[in-house]
Amino acid sequence: MSIKNSVNISLSVNGESFDNVTVPTRQHLADFLRSQGLTGTHLGCEQGACGACTIEMDGKAVRSCLILASQANGSSITTVEGFDDEVMEKVKNNFLKHNAFQCGFCSPGMLMTTKEIISSKKKLSRDEIRSEISGNYCRCTGYQSIVDAIEESINEIN
Amino acid sequence: MDDMKVNQNPKLGSIDRPNSYIGRSLPRENAKKHLDGGGQFVDDLVLPRMLHVAFLRSPFAHADIKSINVDEAKKSSGVFDVYTAKEIDEFCKPWVGTLGHLGEMRSPEQTPLAKKTARWQGEPIAVVIANNRAQAEDALELIEVDWEEKDAQVDMETALDENAVIIHPELGNNLFWTRTVNQGDVVKAFEESHEVVETTLDFARHTGVTLESRGIVADWNKAETKMTIYHNGQAPHMMQHIIAKHLDVNEGLVRIVSRDVGGSFGIKVHVYPDEMAVAAISKKLGRPIKFIADRLESFTTDIHARCHKISGKLGVDKEGKILAMEINDLSGIGPFSMYPRTSAIETNQVLNLSGAPYIIPNYKAVGTVVFQNKTPMCQYRAVGHPIAVAITEALIDKAATKIGINLDEIRKINFIPDNAYPNKCPSGVPLEDLSHQASMDKLLGMMNIKEIEKQKEDDLAKGVLTGYGVIAMCEVTNPSPLFYGVGGAHISSQDGASIRLEGSGAIHLSSSITEQGQGTEAIMKQIAADQLGVSMDTVRVTLGDTDATPYGGGTWASRGAGIGGEAVLKAARTLKNNILDIAAAIMQTNKDTLDIENNVVIRKNGEEGISLQKLAETVYYRGHEIPKGTNPELLATASFLIEGIPFVFTNSAMGCHVSIDQDTGIVKINKFWAVEDCGTQINPKLVEEQIKGGVVQGIGGALFEECVYDDQGNMQNATMADYLVPMAYEMPDIIVDHVTTNSGRSIIGAKGAGEAGTGGAPAVIMNAINNALGKVGSEVTSQPITPEKILKSLNKI
Amino acid sequence: MKAPDFSYYEAKSLSDAIKFKSQDDEAVILAGGQSLLPALNMRLSSPSCLIDISKLKDLSEIKLDDNSIYIGALATHNQVMDNLIIKENFSSLIEILKMVAHPAIRNKGTHGGSIAYGDPAAELPAFAVANNAKFILSGLNGNRTVEANDFYLGLFETDIKPDEILVGINYPLLKSNEKIVFEEVCRRHGDYAMAGLIAKVKINQSVIENIILVFFATGDRPNLTFNTSKLVVKNGYDYSSLKKSLSSEIDFAGDLNSSAPMKLHLATILIGKILKKLEN
Repeated sequence: MSIKNSVNISLSVNGESFDNVTVPTRQHLADFLRSQGLTGTHLGCEQGACGACTIEMDGKAVRSCLILASQANGSSITTVEGFDDEVMEKVKNNFLKHNAFQCGFCSPGMLMTTKEIISSKKKLSRDEIRSEISGNYCRCTGYQSIVDAIEESINEIN
Repeated sequence: MDDMKVNQNPKLGSIDRPNSYIGRSLPRENAKKHLDGGGQFVDDLVLPRMLHVAFLRSPFAHADIKSINVDEAKKSSGVFDVYTAKEIDEFCKPWVGTLGHLGEMRSPEQTPLAKKTARWQGEPIAVVIANNRAQAEDALELIEVDWEEKDAQVDMETALDENAVIIHPELGNNLFWTRTVNQGDVVKAFEESHEVVETTLDFARHTGVTLESRGIVADWNKAETKMTIYHNGQAPHMMQHIIAKHLDVNEGLVRIVSRDVGGSFGIKVHVYPDEMAVAAISKKLGRPIKFIADRLESFTTDIHARCHKISGKLGVDKEGKILAMEINDLSGIGPFSMYPRTSAIETNQVLNLSGAPYIIPNYKAVGTVVFQNKTPMCQYRAVGHPIAVAITEALIDKAATKIGINLDEIRKINFIPDNAYPNKCPSGVPLEDLSHQASMDKLLGMMNIKEIEKQKEDDLAKGVLTGYGVIAMCEVTNPSPLFYGVGGAHISSQDGASIRLEGSGAIHLSSSITEQGQGTEAIMKQIAADQLGVSMDTVRVTLGDTDATPYGGGTWASRGAGIGGEAVLKAARTLKNNILDIAAAIMQTNKDTLDIENNVVIRKNGEEGISLQKLAETVYYRGHEIPKGTNPELLATASFLIEGIPFVFTNSAMGCHVSIDQDTGIVKINKFWAVEDCGTQINPKLVEEQIKGGVVQGIGGALFEECVYDDQGNMQNATMADYLVPMAYEMPDIIVDHVTTNSGRSIIGAKGAGEAGTGGAPAVIMNAINNALGKVGSEVTSQPITPEKILKSLNKI
Repeated sequence: MKAPDFSYYEAKSLSDAIKFKSQDDEAVILAGGQSLLPALNMRLSSPSCLIDISKLKDLSEIKLDDNSIYIGALATHNQVMDNLIIKENFSSLIEILKMVAHPAIRNKGTHGGSIAYGDPAAELPAFAVANNAKFILSGLNGNRTVEANDFYLGLFETDIKPDEILVGINYPLLKSNEKIVFEEVCRRHGDYAMAGLIAKVKINQSVIENIILVFFATGDRPNLTFNTSKLVVKNGYDYSSLKKSLSSEIDFAGDLNSSAPMKLHLATILIGKILKKLEN
């Protein structure tokens, strides 16, 4: 197999197929998604530390800045633009109700982490919720309203 | 979360009206887009023929640039061109970060790119313009710089010594600014004091770490000679003037657009050399140019703040009444004062605000600000307050301990009484409409100190160290022209609102205040809908576009609600009045018999009225049906500014309870309480969230955040993993309550609320920790209060 | 912070990956990527090529046999935490993994990746040393087994050869009188510890018969102690004598969050915390 500095990938994002797209080998998945106009996935550090870029890849929450687009060949991706099922609608309503966001920059990643919390079906205490979101940086809210929204979502959905 | 409070402000009308929205915790429907990934941040913008830039930055704190060779870099794949100061200076004039109203202030001219000498690690010296950021960064590696490293001045305490490294030889020394405040006679007062307590505190540099980094897209349209700048800044009109002035563009043809901003906290209200370079490049090339600071360069180029060492002295009489307070503050900024607000303001606020809640007849404050070969420093949320409040409250706790009275008691003895306004700070700054007594009483009610004290004894018996603190503070909000404009800055203190009823019945509102997530758009809507008598979803808002909004100052120093909100209120009332004039003419009745409710002009006697939509249709499409001489006006504009005083202050009382693990040095904040008096709260939930978010940011400064430098001026922890920002697990739940003393300066009576949390938290946490450590005879005096510092104070290491 | 240019090769099999790696000494292995990608984004690393082995499913098996648990190198942290064999036989590993970074990182980060990277502040290398685990490396000349304690040679320096790839780790099954306990001190949940300790204890009728102490985030590699362990067995917890012993056994290296003297102090009190945990 010859080595190139670009590869062709095919993947599905929010149900939409991307067929045989050429990407630079070094481009990370977050940049790829953003280059396709899916700008809801945000970059805060490109180091995996802030959580702003968290998306769902093949059913799991991952840091899209720490995955190469090349590695996403054959994958099924869901970004914040694709969180439109009944569960996530309830979650978003609770985020709105509790003002669990201010500037909105951390929200896509925070929602992704919340999605995984809800999917685990575990009933978590406030401390446990704080532990689960401890990898998502928010500078605006101080986290309390986010914990409130997630707590209510867990109680409502699970 | 519909939170109807007791009528906060009778001037605003009854709370029983159907469209009573002021004072209600309505959710921000306009912001829901953020939960769908629909935010429009600067990096989301793509324009045709847009190019990207990356900056070569000095790796040294202080070094001469003997030569720069960009030949290889220019040949790199995807590169359009590479510039140094030579090309940029042709298109951008230098600036100086000084103002005329604070006494002598010296800072040299600054250019976008360093010319012959780099004076801080991170200072840009060359810029690559390429098809994308990755290719631009590739080319950076090919730029050859012949550096001659120099000694760096990185210790503010030696900056004025004889053998200090003089950063700007033409200035003769490293002094940027100094000021002395002298009220009464402190020397005599200390002599007469029964007890005198002293302390010296130091505060580490730290920085904002906005999750969305700084960003700009500059788009010079040669044909229209128009510069459009998409910018995540807080003050678009200020930027409009600065771009026009330094890039030699007609100010009326500069458009600044600030859409969604991913957090700012003051970081994005300053003028940055790299952003000015981007505008210059666009002007030169006639193409859109994008620059987004990455996280690494954010740490070394976003403004830093809070690097202070302050000594304080407090003299009290036998009963604990304060007779005198003296402070001496040293601060080390960068090699340049930031433009246009100057790097003196933080220290100035320390001098102005220390002791602010209290009657202190004799007060002396000396502030010294020196240059350093480190990242420039300037205003960041709660500017100066953390230091002013910490030194004041630490001294008061010490005095209380010495005299043997309770922490809350000593404060109550010394508060400016709630009924004694207007009054003055110890420094002489005017104060009005504050409630330290009521707020402290409320706080004490929430905290149950007796229980805490008892618990403390029980804990100590088990070897667990716990402590608590209570503090009081004043917060600067709603500034007048006496803050910046007086000194020559083109920073508007007056803000405007423009409101119109459209043919569809919709209301459009535009304001010169901007949004960075605090809820500006939501509260403007609430005020407009409330005062007009329309439903919330009738109103749409335009912010952050100098082409489309009134002229004004933007959002900073917590001025959005109090100043911008008042303008909206006045404009809405004018529009309502105009509508009722037209309706009275159409309905052939007296204006006094009419009102507006739920988008309908109603008759107070219950008879049929006319919808706003029908009224608007008549005005716009069938004007001939309206009685001659009515002159219908469905557009209203109003402005507002604060006059006669420099600021409108809020006050807060805060308390916290901490535990200290004596083995690990880790501090746990068990509980945090805040009572805030910000006058009328337009949306109580949003106010509460400002307090909570602010407190957590303050916890960052108190326990976690610092920019660590080695002795060569290299920042050691400039990554997201190494610089410790508060994350969810370590943060407490915060309990917030309020006292309401409306500002008499406006109808709306709202003051700012954005910064108190950050201003007070460091002080109350430090006091709580020292309250705990006091039991074993130790204390800490340096922030951030790290586990290592705790262990050292306990003599464990 | 965009990564420098490099080629990308998706390995078709383990032998394919080994062959490729041996032909290019500037090529690196991409497994979970949670340590590699940050280094690339920060331009701390400029490899010629990334050999992606992350899709080789047979390298992520977790197996149980008579006296050991085998964890395939590519098992992600979350896969390990959710695995029944681990839950039933090695629950201490799950508790330790809860301290590693955050859930999204654990969905990609691999067991073998952490072991092979050898960050001295990481839990898994110390865990492996405490368990006397055996690392299976596969290279051009076939497989080679290295004991955990022989693997870590210095700061980010391991015994892995240029043509080798770590394929799996064998942990001896805990006997009924053996227990793993751990404690760490960190500034924020999920951060690298300021100091940590993983202990494997052999208990006989409430008395500690033997204790293996491995410290992490204390020096340039997992720090296995000898004399200190013997002291603990002999005398239990005594701060001064244990501190003295630790200072002679471990070359403490300070970092941004804790100086060497602080790490020495923390290491000492961690022994106390471990012993307290055992009492309960």
